[in-house]
Amino acid sequence: MTSVLADYFPVLVFGVLAVIIAGAMLGSSLLFGHQKPYAEKVSAYECGFEAFDDARHRFDVRFYLVAILFIIFDLEVAFLFPWAVSLSRIGLFGFLSMMGFLGILTVGFIYEWCKGALDWD
Amino acid sequence: MTGGLGSIGIGPYLTVSAILLVLGVFGIFLNRKNVIIILMSIELILLSANLNFVAFSSALGDLSGQVFTLFVLTIAAAESAIGLAIVTVYFRNRGSIEVEDITMMKG
Amino acid sequence: MMTQIVFYVFATVLVLSAGMVVSARNPVHSVLFLILAFFNAAGLFLVAGAEFLAMILVIVYVGAVAVLFLFVVMMLDVRFAQMREGLQRYAPFGAAVGLVLLAELALAFSHWQVAADIASVPHVVAAPGRTNTAALGDVLYTHYVFLFEACGLVLLVAMIGAIVLTLRERPMGRRQNIDRQHERTAADTLAMMTVPLGQGVAANGGFRRPEQSYYIASVPGSYGVTAEPVPQGKPAGAAPADGAPESGHGADNHGGLAQ
Repeated sequence: MTSVLADYFPVLVFGVLAVIIAGAMLGSSLLFGHQKPYAEKVSAYECGFEAFDDARHRFDVRFYLVAILFIIFDLEVAFLFPWAVSLSRIGLFGFLSMMGFLGILTVGFIYEWCKGALDWD
Repeated sequence: MTGGLGSIGIGPYLTVSAILLVLGVFGIFLNRKNVIIILMSIELILLSANLNFVAFSSALGDLSGQVFTLFVLTIAAAESAIGLAIVTVYFRNRGSIEVEDITMMKG
Repeated sequence: MMTQIVFYVFATVLVLSAGMVVSARNPVHSVLFLILAFFNAAGLFLVAGAEFLAMILVIVYVGAVAVLFLFVVMMLDVRFAQMREGLQRYAPFGAAVGLVLLAELALAFSHWQVAADIASVPHVVAAPGRTNTAALGDVLYTHYVFLFEACGLVLLVAMIGAIVLTLRERPMGRRQNIDRQHERTAADTLAMMTVPLGQGVAANGGFRRPEQSYYIASVPGSYGVTAEPVPQGKPAGAAPADGAPESGHGADNHGGLAQ
């Protein structure tokens, strides 16, 4: 399996480099920044919320619906990836099976469209 | 994908998968009152099953293990989405997600 | 050698972060450790050669499911402190059950061996020279077509279930009927009049209402629109001299204003 790992070694280098750069940015602001807070400075801005309070606000479930629909369509796209790569080998039958799958999900899409789940209001 | 796991062998993979399964089950026991942690422990159990599938698929040179992992992933994502939707709607109606309070089937 | 180091690094971090998932105090920390566990599991998949699945794990699990968990954990205002009180009572029992399970699995795995004639069992072998993704695609849409369509049905049911559970009617907005709004022309709303100089509004017939109701393009039933708007074309009589805010409502035939 070293061939697979050798192929993905640049990804590892990229990841490590990203962590190093992000850590350097945060670390240098921690080390070199002036940290002299006083009560006036850390109080809330004109119309902002308290900085160190509980972050839980009233929940609007529309965001959650968007996230769930994203999961469903993300899985649909995940199934589309291998199909796109292997379409030349699987011929008409493979094409039709994917069209069936997309048709099933299009039914769901029409349902949510007409129900108004996609209206942000 | 060349057959076999190379220098690692299947034993370590199965060990990691078993430990993950046990941690998931232990997590359900430990967090009996917190529905969200229970859902996360279920995700850990499913992850251990996926790891098992992939390990065997690689060791035996058979792609069907990976195909099944894809299906398990789909089911797990759909199940966690619906589970969290139920938790959210229940919390909106009730104000708490104590597992002991979720005793009514009729909404 | 390198493979083994990478494997053990990924495996160790995976097991440790899975342990932290179940035992972290703060549920946000639990979700973050779950994300770390998924990343390391993706690394393990990569070491095993399943690169498509590793990437799909990152895209779908971390990118969608873990984000959903974060949503719910961060937005539900639950008092988690009192939820931890069951910990002391059930930890030993849970540990005992876990150890028994681990012992059973170890027993099963240690006495497990591959059959000698494993090569004769039908295998789904990747065609040589195909990448992992392409090899999966070769087999997924032809050989496993029924399971694939069943997956589509599962996704459909999940979509419908999510909408049924979380979609609410929005009472606080006045929604627009887009087609009626597009059909509305300037002639419906404006009327150009030539007004001789020196004359005021009262001499020209008072303030005039538009030919159509204001709510012609609103969805009946949304906020403020109770019925199908009826067109009205008559002027409001004498100018509303009182100028009070409620002068325009009430007695006038404003089809459907719920005031």
